[in-house]
Amino acid sequence: MKRFALAGNPNSGKTTLFNSLTGSTAHVGNWPGVTVDKRDGVYKKCAEPVAIVDLPGIYSLSPYTPEEVIARNYILDDKPDCVINIVDATNLERNLYLTTQILEMDVPVVIALNMMDAVEKAGDKINESELEKRLGVPVVKISALKEQGLKDLMDKAFNESNKRRAGTTVLNETQLKHLIGDVKIALAGQNVANPLFHAIKLVEGDEIEVAMHKETVPMVEEFKKTFTDETFGTDFEALVADGRYKYISKYFAPVLTRKNKEKFKMSRSDKADKVLTNRWAGIPIFLVILFCIFHLTFSENFLFVSTFADWANSPLPSLEDLGLLTADGEPLNYGVRWLATIYDGTIYSPGVIVNNIWNDMLVGELFGWVSGLVEGSGMAPWAVGLINNGIIEGLGAVLSFLPPILTLFLFFSILEDSGYMARIAFILDRMFRRFGLSGRSFLPMIMGFGCSVPAMINTRTLADDKERTATVRVIPFFSCGAKLPILTAVAGAVMLHFASGGGNADLITYAMYILGILVAIVSVLLMRSTTLKGETPPFIMELPAYHVPQFKNLMAHLWDKTKHFVKKAFTIILASTIVIWVLTHFGFDWRFLQDEQINDSILAGLSRLIQPLFTPLGFGSQLGAYGWVFVLAAVAGLIAKENVISTFATLGACLIAAGVPQLNGFNAADIYADESGIQAVLAMIAATGITVPGLISFIAFNMTTIPCFAAVGTAKSELGNKKRFNWTLLFWIATSYTVGAIVYTIGSWWWTLFIWLAVAAAVVTVIILRNKRLSQSTLTVAK
Amino acid sequence: MPIVLAPVNTELRIVRIIADDKTKKHLESLGITINSTLNVMSNSGGTVVCKIKDGKIALDHNLSTKIFVV
Repeated sequence: MKRFALAGNPNSGKTTLFNSLTGSTAHVGNWPGVTVDKRDGVYKKCAEPVAIVDLPGIYSLSPYTPEEVIARNYILDDKPDCVINIVDATNLERNLYLTTQILEMDVPVVIALNMMDAVEKAGDKINESELEKRLGVPVVKISALKEQGLKDLMDKAFNESNKRRAGTTVLNETQLKHLIGDVKIALAGQNVANPLFHAIKLVEGDEIEVAMHKETVPMVEEFKKTFTDETFGTDFEALVADGRYKYISKYFAPVLTRKNKEKFKMSRSDKADKVLTNRWAGIPIFLVILFCIFHLTFSENFLFVSTFADWANSPLPSLEDLGLLTADGEPLNYGVRWLATIYDGTIYSPGVIVNNIWNDMLVGELFGWVSGLVEGSGMAPWAVGLINNGIIEGLGAVLSFLPPILTLFLFFSILEDSGYMARIAFILDRMFRRFGLSGRSFLPMIMGFGCSVPAMINTRTLADDKERTATVRVIPFFSCGAKLPILTAVAGAVMLHFASGGGNADLITYAMYILGILVAIVSVLLMRSTTLKGETPPFIMELPAYHVPQFKNLMAHLWDKTKHFVKKAFTIILASTIVIWVLTHFGFDWRFLQDEQINDSILAGLSRLIQPLFTPLGFGSQLGAYGWVFVLAAVAGLIAKENVISTFATLGACLIAAGVPQLNGFNAADIYADESGIQAVLAMIAATGITVPGLISFIAFNMTTIPCFAAVGTAKSELGNKKRFNWTLLFWIATSYTVGAIVYTIGSWWWTLFIWLAVAAAVVTVIILRNKRLSQSTLTVAK
Repeated sequence: MPIVLAPVNTELRIVRIIADDKTKKHLESLGITINSTLNVMSNSGGTVVCKIKDGKIALDHNLSTKIFVV
């Protein structure tokens, strides 16, 4: 099968073209660097099927980021039958810079002039037959988005692929002509493929090239000595770049006739940027947009309607007030159940409505039906327990998080597709630079508030390897959706038990979010000045023109995301749920245990073993015989943070069954029914006598420790390097242990603050002194 | 003068770029080469957005002190 490669500048529409040609749903974004690896597909409408390879976007064939190396190597080494060079017609000269380099290779080339619709809309014209004549290869006008001109493009490419083409260069008008010619002859003599391309790259002094043709380098240097230029001196690389651009503006640029002769005209995008990237307004506008996104996704008080109603002294009636509930507090009929997904004395935001419909009407119904079937099937009690309480509860807990994750993802896709994401990276760059990161690392971090998994995958857009590692490591500190229930359950219980209901539980929750961000900042600073030292990479970013997000695109994103998530839920999370359930319901003698006998389970025994380790954190040995419950909850959270809250419920019920003093007259069934988990935590407090600092330390530990299995797996594949991954695990353990210990000791004995401050001061001093000595020793080496 | 000090919305010509080879090459492929013209669109506290050819490029403070224009 013939292979055609798609090459072009980032954001020039390669992936859109790829999707249109092959009918696939690869991720497209209005953000340079969305395609991070090459991708294959098949186009079927030519004389014979053709394999299409989508390459990462490149600005030139001298690579700057790792994904640019992929593109260069593919064209050179895998020798496609034809290169389809996609040129963004709205930025013709810059895009043709890459074209001039591709033409130097001995490979058939077809130019796809994309985004012609935008050019024509602006009233400009491109004379493509003239451009075709001057370039010497076919030029086809297309619109990848509207799927126009694709057949014509592919037929021309197919036709070209049957011919042979020798590389041509635009540098023959420069003084470099003879130098390049001589090197080319020398390389051709050595039977090097693509001699012209390699000759020019050698003249440029391209790093990869110099390493590849070591024996030819002295000869090139010899040739170079005979040559100087008054503007560029001996900077050959700048000379070559200048030669290309000069030729482009002399011969290629004139094919474009602009309607508006004024050279720098403000476009609508430029006007929008005046406001959106404004020095003072930029960040506030971004915060407002962020707030709106979270409000639309999570708020149970949409547009604050019920708050306003309260102010006006006419509060909205709840379903109960309207008489739509039965005496048990259940909806009267099916219609009311639907109404309850949208409204109950307060209007829910769209994200919450979707969530309610999914959980109450779809997943809840389905799972309820399945567990009914299982119970009626007459299976062994342990099998019923495993399926109903283990698998179904576990899957339910995970799948219930699908709607908020998808809603949040949809909004981020809109921001990304519109082109605004690139601006946020830009306005935050200045702030991030102080912590040793560039603005590009912002996007993955903010995605971490939703879920660490997509956040870690997104770090591929970061050019610098060390920056990428640091970002992957701190992403779990941006508390994800699954950690929120832990925070609210413990915070609620603290307020009920220790402040007898007074005080604001939300305050603890917010404080924990802020603690997470602070830990992230401190650890980035520490890593960037010790193990991950390096210059903050320069921030160079193209700001694409804004456009209205494409519905088709957004849906493709969501579908991709859903597939990924469901696959995870039914593999790693399902497996871990089963393991956890088995280990909490079987003793060391492999006897099946009832819920009340959880104390005899394997997992309880193992938890007791490691319980002493958590003493400095306030939930270890000092809690006595029942103290292992907090350890078990924390360990269960290593598989999925959703497990923490379900473990609370099981443990709380067992503790009451075992005769712990009952608060508020609650029994085990009440604890199972209490979705918030607050009652279960109260039982655990009563059984263990844990203190407030111990509880806060517990949630701080859960927030900053090793994230769930899914996130750990993602970190492993994204970090790529086994050693680096092991250090990352160790880093998470050490950070959470330290944070927990600091919270507990300072909370219990305020004066330990001074000890911690002294330790911090000592660490900072050691790092500064060490860095000073290191820089001095490198200086002496340099001398 | 470095573009960080350059007036906004004026056609400027690049005369000198001081940066390491890798960064310089990347700037060149984005159209930021000696003798090419650019137009500073905004400058917010040192981070500069400029229009070059038909593209809009954002540069951090450090880099924008290293590109000289007249």
